[in-house]
Amino acid sequence: MDTVTLTIDGRQVTVEKGKSVLEAAIAHGVDVPYYCYHPGLGVDGSCRVCIVKIEKMGKLQTACSTTCTEGMVVTTASPEVVAARASVFEFLLANHPLDCPVCDKGGECPLQDFSYTFGPERSRMEFPRREFDGAGVKADVDFGPTLLLNRNRCILCTRCVRFMRDVEGDAQIGITDRGYGSEISTFEEQGVISLLSGNLMDVCPVGAITTRDYRFRSRPWDNAQAVDTICTLCEKGCNTTAWLKAKPEWAKGARLVRMTPRLNPDVNGYWMCDIGRFDYHWVEGDRRVLQPHIRRGTSNDAAPWADALVAVKDAVDAAGGPASTFFYVSAHASLEELYVLRQIAAGAGGLTLAWRYREKPQPANTKFRIPSVDAPNVRGARDLGFDVGDPGQPADLSRMKAAVDAGQVKVLYVMDSGPDGSIGDVDWILAARQAGKIQTLIVHAVLHTALAEAADILLPASAFVEKDATYTNMDGRVQAASRVIPPPGDAVEDWQILVKLGVVFGSNLSFASSAAIREAIARDFASVPGYAGIPSLAFSRPVPAKTWLQGSNPSERWKWDFMFQDLPPVKFGEDFGPLPRADVIPLKEVK
Amino acid sequence: MSFHPAMDYGRGRHQSARALPEEGEPFVYTAENRATLDGILAHYPPDRRKSAVIAALYLVQRQQGHVTRQAMRHVAEVIGCTPEEVEEVVSFYTMFYTRPVGRRVIQVCRTLSCALMGAERVTEALTETLGVRPGETDAAGEFTLVEVECLGACDRAPVIGVDDHWHECQRPEDVRALIDGLRTKGAAALTGCHLRVAGDTE
Repeated sequence: MDTVTLTIDGRQVTVEKGKSVLEAAIAHGVDVPYYCYHPGLGVDGSCRVCIVKIEKMGKLQTACSTTCTEGMVVTTASPEVVAARASVFEFLLANHPLDCPVCDKGGECPLQDFSYTFGPERSRMEFPRREFDGAGVKADVDFGPTLLLNRNRCILCTRCVRFMRDVEGDAQIGITDRGYGSEISTFEEQGVISLLSGNLMDVCPVGAITTRDYRFRSRPWDNAQAVDTICTLCEKGCNTTAWLKAKPEWAKGARLVRMTPRLNPDVNGYWMCDIGRFDYHWVEGDRRVLQPHIRRGTSNDAAPWADALVAVKDAVDAAGGPASTFFYVSAHASLEELYVLRQIAAGAGGLTLAWRYREKPQPANTKFRIPSVDAPNVRGARDLGFDVGDPGQPADLSRMKAAVDAGQVKVLYVMDSGPDGSIGDVDWILAARQAGKIQTLIVHAVLHTALAEAADILLPASAFVEKDATYTNMDGRVQAASRVIPPPGDAVEDWQILVKLGVVFGSNLSFASSAAIREAIARDFASVPGYAGIPSLAFSRPVPAKTWLQGSNPSERWKWDFMFQDLPPVKFGEDFGPLPRADVIPLKEVK
Repeated sequence: MSFHPAMDYGRGRHQSARALPEEGEPFVYTAENRATLDGILAHYPPDRRKSAVIAALYLVQRQQGHVTRQAMRHVAEVIGCTPEEVEEVVSFYTMFYTRPVGRRVIQVCRTLSCALMGAERVTEALTETLGVRPGETDAAGEFTLVEVECLGACDRAPVIGVDDHWHECQRPEDVRALIDGLRTKGAAALTGCHLRVAGDTE
């Protein structure tokens, strides 16, 4: 790697050749403010707040657009820079409404943070502020199905414009008019219609773009904890952070308040799609299965786990043993679950993996492609020896359908730990059950779906944020999804259900924890790239709000990896090695 | 099929106050204009065709006088960009009109040099003579008065443009005479310029 060495504020700093002064400063913990620069969107040079003094250059330079050269001497805190920077902030705030107390971004707003640090203490501007769509809340206008826009707060950094143009691939946002009247807009005010629209809230450095989903649901200081995990709604496996709101036990509402993307250059970059970002309400929704249910005659009552397991055993025995039991499994099952399932289904009639396949409407030139397979672990199932057909294809259900039609399936065990619909089409199961081709339908699910309603025995499972589990994404990368909240009601982690069922199916399993299963996977599948390291995968534990509020702005989540060197990334392998587990991650001292 | 979960937060209740350009009639280039545009587009690499947006918009304006949303969509399709990118250009430049204009457009420069040399006085004189304020068209549909940004002749401020013709060092009495001349003699009154921006229109 070619490097150059320069001096920033008297510190010798060595960076890769071609990096900008701003990148060097951020990487080495030198405080330089910036708005239009975003590592995923490149350099624009329009906000002017990153100005620094560089020796032998006549004027102050924007750090974001100046490339580091050997021997460069940069000053970020000389009186000249401080004064010039303060006046830039004065102009940025000249028309900003300063409604921070009612602004959704308040508390995690780079404009707030940097203005406090670098701005002047008072403004000399005495004229009325410019207003675009009205004062106060009247300025919040529709900006597509997921977003609201407040133009009064906008500082015209054009991050959203560049995101849509360069990443999304469809330049729906632009700046219309000029000068004083410049405003962020979409053609005919139709708003942003995109599956990546939620990222616009992340990139917006002020409260101009907010999501309808998270709007007014929480304040940053109320989000007591953040947990690094992964999204499991498709086979991309985006790295995410789940945010937990602090609330008393008796208070209404969910603890899980939002999902935001987390930098992983090899998987999702800085972004995630709207499906993963917004489709989490089912986890703490009203439709969760909280207890096992057993259907006896016309009644369908909640029952203890012991009774449910006995009922499963009776059903299997009544059907003539495991050979007439078939498994129909959503590819939302983690590696641990699939590993256990493979053992208990050894004597069963058959096992088919299913998933929903839907092509996402996206521009042809998008840089962030959302896969069509809506399940996180199809690749993992293939690695563990399940027959799942070619990569990136719809699930092949023909053999299962044939077995059902032939009347071989006396007991059908459906395992569906994903959200409603993620297992794909189940109407044919319901129809077969109606027609009497399936004697007993056992459903192991998280939600009261149509299938769960039709079940004879219903077992409550846990969602992806309720268990430590591992998944292999479409590129073969094994990633860990961490336990963020406990499963509700009597629901238990899926591997526990399966281990208990092992008794029914005659396999004597003695796994005491999901970690033990990971050890077994690593032993049996050491030849699969990456699998030998599964036991050393680090699961993230909640980072307390106190820590991240002190360390960095949470909407600048990508920067945490500079700030929290000790935060276990959800990665493993030779490069990273086994990482310590800790309940509280100490904040690294930031200079 | 919707991929977004329903989010009802204030949907439809929050309307933007931004004035949209006119929707207008369905627009396609005439065969002649399309041929001209294709010739211009050939100057650019295939992936940079949208660089021709200004030329494409001038052709729209030549064809129907102003740029409508329908025209923006058509231009976007022809040059390969999004309608929003076209609207950005239309709304940025003062020479593109989003509403119908009169037969002649009087543009008064209001940028620094002209402002210092009394452009506001010129605008006042024109307002008085034409009976319209900046941005308006007179009742007969003859003249539209607009204030524009720098016309690039700062050494001869104040400058006004009548369509594509520059008239420099204009004092209020000069513009009154110019308007009278335009009313009586038509294009023959356009004498003050030493440059024409696009030489082929008249």
